[in-house]
Amino acid sequence: MTADALEGIRILDLTQVWAGPTCTKILGDMGAEVIKVESARRMDIARSEVNPRPGTGLYPNNDPGELPWNRAGRFADRNRSKLSVCLDLTHERGVDAFKRIAANSDVVIENYRQGVMDRFGLGFKQLKEARSDIVMVSLSSQGTTGPERSYGSFGVTLEQTAGTASITGYSGGDPMTSGVLFPDPVVAVVAIGFILSALRQRGKTGEGCYVDLSQREMTTSIIGEMVMDYTMNGRKWKPIGNRHPVFAPQGVYRCDGHDAWVAVTVRSDEEWSALAGTIGQPELATDHRFASQDARAHNHDQLDLFINAWTESRSPFEVMTTLQAVGVPAGVAETGKQLLEDPHLVSRDFWELSGLPNQEQIPYLSRPFKFSLTPGSTRMPAPSLGQETEQVLRDIAGMTQDDLRELAELGVTSNDPRPFAANSGF
Amino acid sequence: MESEPLRGVRVLDFTQGIAGPFATKLMGALGADVIKVEPPGLGDSARSLPPFLQDDPHPEKSGLFLYLNTNKRSITLDMHTADGQHVARSLLEGIDIVIEDYPPGQLAEWDLGFETIERINPRTTLVSVTPFGQTGPYRDYASSDLVAQALGGLLYVTGDPEREPLRIGGSPAEYLAGCSAFSGALIALTYRDASGRGQHVDVSELDGIATAQQYASLTYAYLHENRERVAAPPLFRVKDGQVGASFRQQSWGEVCQMIGRPELEGDERFIDMDARRENGEELNSIVGEWMRDQPKEALYHRAQEAGMAWGYICDAEDLITSPQYVHREYFVEIDHPVAGPLTYPGMPLRWSGEVSPLQRAPLLGEHNTEIYCGQLGWTRERLVAKRAAGTV
Repeated sequence: MTADALEGIRILDLTQVWAGPTCTKILGDMGAEVIKVESARRMDIARSEVNPRPGTGLYPNNDPGELPWNRAGRFADRNRSKLSVCLDLTHERGVDAFKRIAANSDVVIENYRQGVMDRFGLGFKQLKEARSDIVMVSLSSQGTTGPERSYGSFGVTLEQTAGTASITGYSGGDPMTSGVLFPDPVVAVVAIGFILSALRQRGKTGEGCYVDLSQREMTTSIIGEMVMDYTMNGRKWKPIGNRHPVFAPQGVYRCDGHDAWVAVTVRSDEEWSALAGTIGQPELATDHRFASQDARAHNHDQLDLFINAWTESRSPFEVMTTLQAVGVPAGVAETGKQLLEDPHLVSRDFWELSGLPNQEQIPYLSRPFKFSLTPGSTRMPAPSLGQETEQVLRDIAGMTQDDLRELAELGVTSNDPRPFAANSGF
Repeated sequence: MESEPLRGVRVLDFTQGIAGPFATKLMGALGADVIKVEPPGLGDSARSLPPFLQDDPHPEKSGLFLYLNTNKRSITLDMHTADGQHVARSLLEGIDIVIEDYPPGQLAEWDLGFETIERINPRTTLVSVTPFGQTGPYRDYASSDLVAQALGGLLYVTGDPEREPLRIGGSPAEYLAGCSAFSGALIALTYRDASGRGQHVDVSELDGIATAQQYASLTYAYLHENRERVAAPPLFRVKDGQVGASFRQQSWGEVCQMIGRPELEGDERFIDMDARRENGEELNSIVGEWMRDQPKEALYHRAQEAGMAWGYICDAEDLITSPQYVHREYFVEIDHPVAGPLTYPGMPLRWSGEVSPLQRAPLLGEHNTEIYCGQLGWTRERLVAKRAAGTV
């Protein structure tokens, strides 16, 4: 018998792009009812372009189809397990409909630039009028207060302004940004806990709550020790490549194959002794140049030559399994293909297949945790734009067929982005 | 303080290092009562890791430990003895969340696995935080932050395409696992509040990184080709650091104005995104030439005021002096009996409801008397005897 952990929680979701949608996707997988609100005028930019240029974007069977915004891969990955509603919030009737849904929702979450919700007339104060115990969550770049509150950012901007890029880079080289916009998934995952904490507080007080999360601050929170070294010792960290500040050796070593690499970390003299034996150089374990952590860190370049000489004629998987067999941390630098085929991720059912009927089934990311009683799963594939507009306005907002017809005539619920094509895409 | 979000939630925390302690730091900051169980002697491994105050490797002076263990109480207990395991079982009473990071199967061997926890109190949730999770062929593998970044697909796509893949600095995999453990615990707690049932939450550091990589697996799933490392968007060298710039269509005119080259707006070489990509080197050298003498912060503010999402590389000093962080009081001063008053990163959010300020990290075993005598009802003599035996 399994159950849904978050059954009965209704979330009204205005977030776009990556962090917010990934957060609400996981809430949806875990049983919350997530209503994603977009509009024809401003759909989620992860739906990509209205008229994609040939050869761009990710589409099932590599075919954008007639309505490409309903087939975009990034959108599909981040927006399953949600309902989609189209409401033009620049129109007062759209705002009114939104408030009616909010009146029957537990959480409103948004990641607009600071001030946009107020301009719509949907600030915390107005939402509280619609529902007195609403929880409102803003996932903005820099929070909703302060001189930089209206500054824009992408994940790559946050890596710079939050400090993580200052310690990412090759040893002796300039700071670099990552290949993955790492702040987004961090914010996505941690925000789940903050939202549920806010709901718990509401359960005690019966009052609504406003949570103002700064993505920049959250990103600095994952490098706390770098800040502490400065406030304690005045020391500023620089990139040190793949090495570790304490453990040595640590590195990424070339293996046999195209662009094939393995990561290795040695955390103790015992692991060093095991590594030295495995690479056929047992005498290195007692060699004074490498006998202690400090000595190995000091003579790291020399050490790397010995390790490289052993790895470069072997496949990264052989290196990993051979080193792991003697207890040394080692892992293949996996490509997209290797990830999808990785025996460990596959055995843990990490990939969840989904797709529209009669379309290619695609393996999507699942979640970073597993639950014994409430496993969670893909509820339904990502919705086409406005797929549940009528259903939600009728069943949750309590609107009549006449209301719906009127909203449609006014264009408030339009699900056709083509007249606004210039606004779409990244 | 009664209305703090997690007030009344009791957490028994067996974790060390970064991931688990980051999760319980967040719980503590929201009002949970976190009892941290540390091995006698050296304590949490983070106490032995740098940075240390004035580089003095003292167990109460590790900046890593001090940062990660705010809002917790510390007791010592030797889990490797039968008596220690027995004491641990008696600590389970009234606990809502047990969080641990032992190798998979270790707790069960000590008769402290989920079955035991459930028998003692079916309302208790067990959160296990490990590199690879409780199941699967790698579950007993040794790991490090770098190894997690490699196996989770983050490493391969980061860095220079002509060189070896590059890790993200710091310990991102461990911190992300901490975020997953925090949110996983809250999901389980939400369900417990509704159903009365605790459960076992299996948090895998690798699963977290595999969730974060996204593009690599999606690109292969859709296009059947691997996403390769691509040179990161250019960071321009400026007078006192680096600035990250982007040239989007709607702000291209602004950029030309800003660099004093308005005639470039209509220049065919840079007329749209495709042209700018094609002539990227030329563009970067023209813009880079102008940027060389600009101060980073002024340039960042100027670009942002003009609606461009540019950034600048912030080191720790830039963060501490950031007008935005100063205004929001993100950094907080916390006093500590051994380390003294220090500036710490605070919580990344403001909350309209009640939350308390951050409380300093505990000294090793600081709350032994409070917990063992006050809560478990031991006599002073018993505590002294357990201490002499090395259990506490």
